Amino acid sequence: MDWKTQLKLQAFLDGELPETQARKVSNSLAQDREAAALLAELRQTREALAGFDKGIQLPETREFFWSKIQREIQRAEARTPAPVGIPFFARLRRLLMPATAVALLAIVGMVATRQTGSTLRSGGAEAETSLEDTGAFTYRDYSAGTTLVWLSYPAEHELADEDEGGTLD
Amino acid sequence: MAILVWCSVICALLACGESRSQAATLKLQVQLVWGTNDDRSPDPKHKPVESDVREKLKELPLKWSNYFEVNRKGFEVSPAGVIRIALSEKCEVEVRSLGSSKLEVTLFGKGKETLKRTQSLPNGEMLVLGGNAPNSTAWLVVLKRME
Repeated sequence: MDWKTQLKLQAFLDGELPETQARKVSNSLAQDREAAALLAELRQTREALAGFDKGIQLPETREFFWSKIQREIQRAEARTPAPVGIPFFARLRRLLMPATAVALLAIVGMVATRQTGSTLRSGGAEAETSLEDTGAFTYRDYSAGTTLVWLSYPAEHELADEDEGGTLD
Repeated sequence: MAILVWCSVICALLACGESRSQAATLKLQVQLVWGTNDDRSPDPKHKPVESDVREKLKELPLKWSNYFEVNRKGFEVSPAGVIRIALSEKCEVEVRSLGSSKLEVTLFGKGKETLKRTQSLPNGEMLVLGGNAPNSTAWLVVLKRME
């Protein structure tokens, strides 16, 4: 049963439907057992509530009763704390937290980079051609901490004239 | 917590700045070395290089099996200072301190500038300048940081 039919049954029960529609609903109830069951349930519920309402008696007038509720609402609103200014340290902390995260990331990054660099260098060797002097070849042994610059041109006889014994003196 | 971390970061940065700003006199040693495959040097004044230098030279892609010390000089170079050392009649080395272990090394052959190189030389590291010498031997200038 759809929602519209259920509402129509409720309106039928409350006597809110026009006569023609009320007759249609009444006729359909003979064939539609589900609708008849729902109508019976709605009727029982209304009767139960009607009986319940009757048993309640307010000790004061209706206006006074509602005015009490209104006053209570107003009092509760007045009790709601006004927004207090954020303390200095809380604001400082709010600023420092993201900055700290960035600083920590930067430190971790630097450490990682440095460690990676040392790992790459340890045990490794590299060779390069010196830009300062195209006649020189540079070899770097990182594990030994030694740099060799080999001069191709000098000079067998500029720096290393041999003496009579064949040495450098 | 955040304040503590920031204090640590500031202290670390200050420490880095402090250590960088510190510039001390560098103690160095320079040697003129002859590389050969002969077991002995014809010059009785030559003696084999010290073991640490020999080991490091052996690690280098050089073909010689023996290295003899021709001359050795220890010296100090003050921050931003410069010193010129004569290793032989034909070979001189000029070392200029650029701070933070960085050196500018200039090699002179017969008084003529042959090579100029800027090199960081941390404690224990070695810079070797070399070239071919007659009779398939080699000359080497070994610059070593002592302190």
